[in-house]
Amino acid sequence: MRNWFYQVFMMELRKLLAYRADFWINFIGQTFFSLLIAYYLWESIFTSTGKAEINGFSIETMIFYYLLAPLIFRIQQGQGIGFISREIYDGSLNKYLLYPMNFFKYKLATYGANSFFYILQLLFIIFLYTLFFNTAHVYEFKILPLFFFLLSLIIGIFCFYFMFCLVEFMAFWFDNTWSLGVILRFATSFLGGALIPLSFFPSWSQTFISYTPFPYLIDLPMNILMLKIESQEMIFQMIISVVWTVFFATLALLLWRKGNLQYSGVGI
Amino acid sequence: MIEVKNLNKTFKVHQKEAGLKGSIRSLFNRKYIEKHALSNLDLSIEQGEIIGLIGSNGAGKTTLTKILSGIIHPTSGDVKVMGHNPWERKNEYRRSMAVIMGQKAQLWWDLPAMDGFLLLKEIYQIPSRQFYESIEYLAEYLDIKSQLNIQVRRLSLGERMKVELMAALLHRPNVIYLDEPTIGLDLTAQKAVRRFIKEYRKEFNPTMILTSHYMEDIEELCSRICLLKEGRKIYDGKLSILHEDYAQTKLIVATPQDDSLISQIDFPKELGDLSVHGKRIHINSPRDKTMEATQYLFNKVPLSDFNIQEQEIGDIIESILSDKERI
Repeated sequence: MRNWFYQVFMMELRKLLAYRADFWINFIGQTFFSLLIAYYLWESIFTSTGKAEINGFSIETMIFYYLLAPLIFRIQQGQGIGFISREIYDGSLNKYLLYPMNFFKYKLATYGANSFFYILQLLFIIFLYTLFFNTAHVYEFKILPLFFFLLSLIIGIFCFYFMFCLVEFMAFWFDNTWSLGVILRFATSFLGGALIPLSFFPSWSQTFISYTPFPYLIDLPMNILMLKIESQEMIFQMIISVVWTVFFATLALLLWRKGNLQYSGVGI
Repeated sequence: MIEVKNLNKTFKVHQKEAGLKGSIRSLFNRKYIEKHALSNLDLSIEQGEIIGLIGSNGAGKTTLTKILSGIIHPTSGDVKVMGHNPWERKNEYRRSMAVIMGQKAQLWWDLPAMDGFLLLKEIYQIPSRQFYESIEYLAEYLDIKSQLNIQVRRLSLGERMKVELMAALLHRPNVIYLDEPTIGLDLTAQKAVRRFIKEYRKEFNPTMILTSHYMEDIEELCSRICLLKEGRKIYDGKLSILHEDYAQTKLIVATPQDDSLISQIDFPKELGDLSVHGKRIHINSPRDKTMEATQYLFNKVPLSDFNIQEQEIGDIIESILSDKERI
């Protein structure tokens, strides 16, 4: 009986839906404002350069990119994981150690609920876009790319989860690791392509970034959805992202075990 | 049931000099000191026993509780609880024990207690029938039925302790660690919690380890106590024989028939210290001199009231703990 995972997942989802005002402000506000900024910024860039396409992006595809990329970032930045470092620092971690359950699974359930919630928002936005805008030259509504898009998104969710755990587990040794989490989130956003599409980076830095796990979090799913990637390359990149995930998961588990020897459960 | 052999726990704590200069220096060079929270501790507890862990702050009580419940790893030593190594955190072990910490909430803060219980039902895999029976029994006994659907963070401290107790006992654990379960509670709530623990023990007979600073908790609930001082065990035995072994004095309280006689009593120093409290006199007499002191008093002064009291258990413990030679 592994029913508690489902219970925790649903409980977290209920919590998210309980704050109605927050739900709509988040949904409309963030999407609308980030879109507005992106539109005026890129509109002026396109006008001043006089080109219809820059690095493979037209103004339409750019708008679509900025509509979705921040949301993908939000799906993966792990709002529901909470602050494990704080829990280690103030001893609230004890709860997870005393109950007969797996810590990683518990956190995965709360994080998964948040991610699921944002995936629903994302699908809703894609649906609205398809309804009101001309999708030609932007993306094609096809089941298979959409499936791979969601698959790469889910791999990304797992990958970020274990990366985040790694950083937060540092709190077993250092009292305050808050800044590490911020750095990781910023790196994900910047090197993943949430701020600027990766094709705008100089080619040497693109090569460098491709050796990090970040482009597989945001850039890859976006490329799949916008049909900017060959299927062979897509499969290859997805395998790499799975390898990264397994690597981080193994490391996180090792660090968890090591950290537990160190844990003093203070704060009681 | 619980076997502890040669248990040691040492914490490495970093020391920082006061002030900004000290803070900057500690960025580059840190000094660590070793703190021995537990030293060579042996302890054996039988099934169904309830034992009180007593000691001043920092004596190692909570550290011991944390090791036994598997929260932290010891530095060295053997511990077996129901045949398990606690810090391996096997689900089988975790399903058969519970920890109640008076100073730390375990239930989900944002949820009503009942939602938390339902989650625990799944986590502990409690069969539905047993679950609802337990809820009924516990809520009834703790008189908290009407509060189960209110968010935990909105409950008063006493109510919160009651729902924490419920949460810890739903799965009917065989071993229960109670770390200061009555801390911060008012007298009525303290009594209710004590009465409940007593009743629960009668019904289910679990093994319990109780840590408390309130002597009433210990006196009322524990038949055996273990005194810890600076991580070492300095007494382990029946509470009832603590008086015989360690009480040094008895208190004689007497009321003379005539107040004016009080000033005329010339009480021999070797029989005890006499002090006057209004119309009463108190004599703190060494245990082996109490009879003699009583006889002396009877012969000298006609009394209207008289009684002999044992030294308070808290005072005895305090004197043992403050005895510098006892480490």
